[in-house]
Amino acid sequence: MRADTTLATSVGLYAELRRQGYDFFIGVPCSGLKPFLRDLEADAPHPFIPAPREDVALALAAGAAMGGRKPVVYLQSSGLGHLVNPITSLLQPYGMNVHLLISLRTEPFEHHQMGKVAVPLLELLRYDDYTLVRDPKCDA
Amino acid sequence: MRRLEAIRKLAAGWTDELVVATTGMISRELFMVRDRPENFYMCGSMGCALPLGLGLALAHPERKVVVLDGDGAALMSLGSLALARHLKLKNLEHVILDNGTYASTGDQPTCSAAVTFADLGFQVRHLRVEPGNEPDTPRLPLDPVELRARFERAVRGAALR
Repeated sequence: MRADTTLATSVGLYAELRRQGYDFFIGVPCSGLKPFLRDLEADAPHPFIPAPREDVALALAAGAAMGGRKPVVYLQSSGLGHLVNPITSLLQPYGMNVHLLISLRTEPFEHHQMGKVAVPLLELLRYDDYTLVRDPKCDA
Repeated sequence: MRRLEAIRKLAAGWTDELVVATTGMISRELFMVRDRPENFYMCGSMGCALPLGLGLALAHPERKVVVLDGDGAALMSLGSLALARHLKLKNLEHVILDNGTYASTGDQPTCSAAVTFADLGFQVRHLRVEPGNEPDTPRLPLDPVELRARFERAVRGAALR
């Protein structure tokens, strides 16, 4: 499934993902995903899973997917680098997809470089199962 | 004990357990001693076997999941041990075959002696094994996509039993 929409805000995003059948959510939070995280917490389709890092979240989601669940992994773009290994050596060789919900940050300075290269990196990895969220308030 | 012997003993006791084996020689030696559809050989993504097993165990609380890990792989993702301890899933056992080395790549030392895995993770079975590899261990002859399909059928099939 390809979903590369850039959203102005993540309001309504959780409900939309649920409508699309996603039933398992794990990741590392970002303030840019506040509405999504608030809706996830309110709905609580399963107990909250506090992933210590993005690669742990993605591998756990892959295990849940092999068990029949339809997972989403949420993260801030700064953590995208942690996904390079599990995307290239777990998901892709074994023919799996896990939907990524990525808060694309561009400010302040620590986000400048990844803010520029996050989408090219996903293209380089040939990974297109993701939704980008950009919250102008976070980058202000 | 040789690692192969430890794996042989563990595998002899399995019935319908879902087993996730870490990358490198541990997967290859498990394949050699007891290949079965309930085995998932996670070649690559070192450190990801435990979280993969946690995801399976969460999705299927009625199934027992065994993660067959090495000390190098466990050290690579200690956060996963903390998450396992947080989740306290009764249906997951984390076996760590600890030879104090990255044996698959030629016995370079790890720092496993500096930690107590059982204090970090949950239901950890910490087994000390000798460094070194068995000669002529074959590479997995399975296509990874077919391997995953076989494993998923085993997950679903047993759920129907």
